Amino acid sequence: MDRKLFVKHAFSALGIVAVAPLIHACSKNNDSASTSSDESSGSSSDVTTDTSCSVSPTETGGPFPTKQPSSYVRSDITKGDGIGSPLTAKITIVNSKNNCTALEGAIVDIWHCDVDGNYSEYGGTQMQSTNFQAVHWLRGRQVTDANGLVTFESIFPGWYQGRATHIHVHVYNAGGTSLLVTQIAFPDTLAITVNSTGSAYGYTKGTSGYTYNNADNVFSDSVAKEMATVTGSVDKGFELSITIKANA
Amino acid sequence: MKRRIITLCYKKIIDANYSDEWCRNVFAATYQEFKMQAQFYNQQKKHTTYKQMIDDVSGANKLNFLVSAAIIDYLKELNDQVPDVLNNLGRSFLRFRNFQFEIIQSDITNSASHAVAIYFMSQPLIWHDTVGDQMITSENYNDDDCEMIINQFRLSENLGIYTLQTLEI
Repeated sequence: MDRKLFVKHAFSALGIVAVAPLIHACSKNNDSASTSSDESSGSSSDVTTDTSCSVSPTETGGPFPTKQPSSYVRSDITKGDGIGSPLTAKITIVNSKNNCTALEGAIVDIWHCDVDGNYSEYGGTQMQSTNFQAVHWLRGRQVTDANGLVTFESIFPGWYQGRATHIHVHVYNAGGTSLLVTQIAFPDTLAITVNSTGSAYGYTKGTSGYTYNNADNVFSDSVAKEMATVTGSVDKGFELSITIKANA
Repeated sequence: MKRRIITLCYKKIIDANYSDEWCRNVFAATYQEFKMQAQFYNQQKKHTTYKQMIDDVSGANKLNFLVSAAIIDYLKELNDQVPDVLNNLGRSFLRFRNFQFEIIQSDITNSASHAVAIYFMSQPLIWHDTVGDQMITSENYNDDDCEMIINQFRLSENLGIYTLQTLEI
């Protein structure tokens, strides 16, 4: 077997992705030093030499290091795999301590499961890839605008044993102090429709064993207050809207 | 010819005694994210430390995953280079493709107690030889009759061999 090919296969067996130029055979023919035409084409007249003794201009230190937001901070929280019926979630946060006026500047986290009922979490410290985009999917964070509104682009959630379809929501004040942990409920009939007719979009679990809202431990005593208004269809996508009342 | 293929793991601990601005930013970002995420597992406000939550709250070990979102963009800044690890010429040479993040300890009431670890797993290297305490490795192999670039470096307390495989190549 060709050496390079063999080593490539061996690395695959290790579960390791070999990265170019890893494992590169000797290539003497490529050793000759070359000067690209781009490098040599610059005219000397392009650059003026500073012969004075004045202090050189100050420049910024470059982009590294800079303060970076959490990777949750994004409105599109989809996996990027195209699976699932699109869902635009419009969540309005109001302050129940102030006559339910819009709460501006609140931090809103949401997270939910994919079409198979799985969350993007590994339950501890497992290895993550530097394919960073693939890690914290279906989780997002936005800050409410002057109308108390945040908007996320996601998919209609799947479901898993023991729970009705839902989206988790955690509302914080601007300083990150928790104001409310809650969940958004979906109409039973809609969830059943999506999971019984949406196989082309990845909803292949069906509805056998699905937990309806009135049997759901979280929603059974409060579903009316947590129910979203959802319009649209599997084919065209959905728009969800809900107003959540928090004490701020 | 048999060749040993290794990957290395470098454990970088970041605590209140951070040494540079990158570490300071990671420290601040992970502490802020910990304080936010911990509130989900501490809704009764019974606990202040990470250890208390791990010991007492089901699912609290997910905090490691949840807080790791705070470092993603800082890891991107590294451009795949494992920080701190230098060859005998003082140059950065080790690239990583995978990492693990874990919270060592923290306390929502005391940032000074916050400490996290990032484990950087290197890409595969060919381990050619060991001279004294110096490892001789390369990212490439070559035919017998030509030169290749090698890296010479020393293992240390936080830098060790993570995987080893011997291959006939």
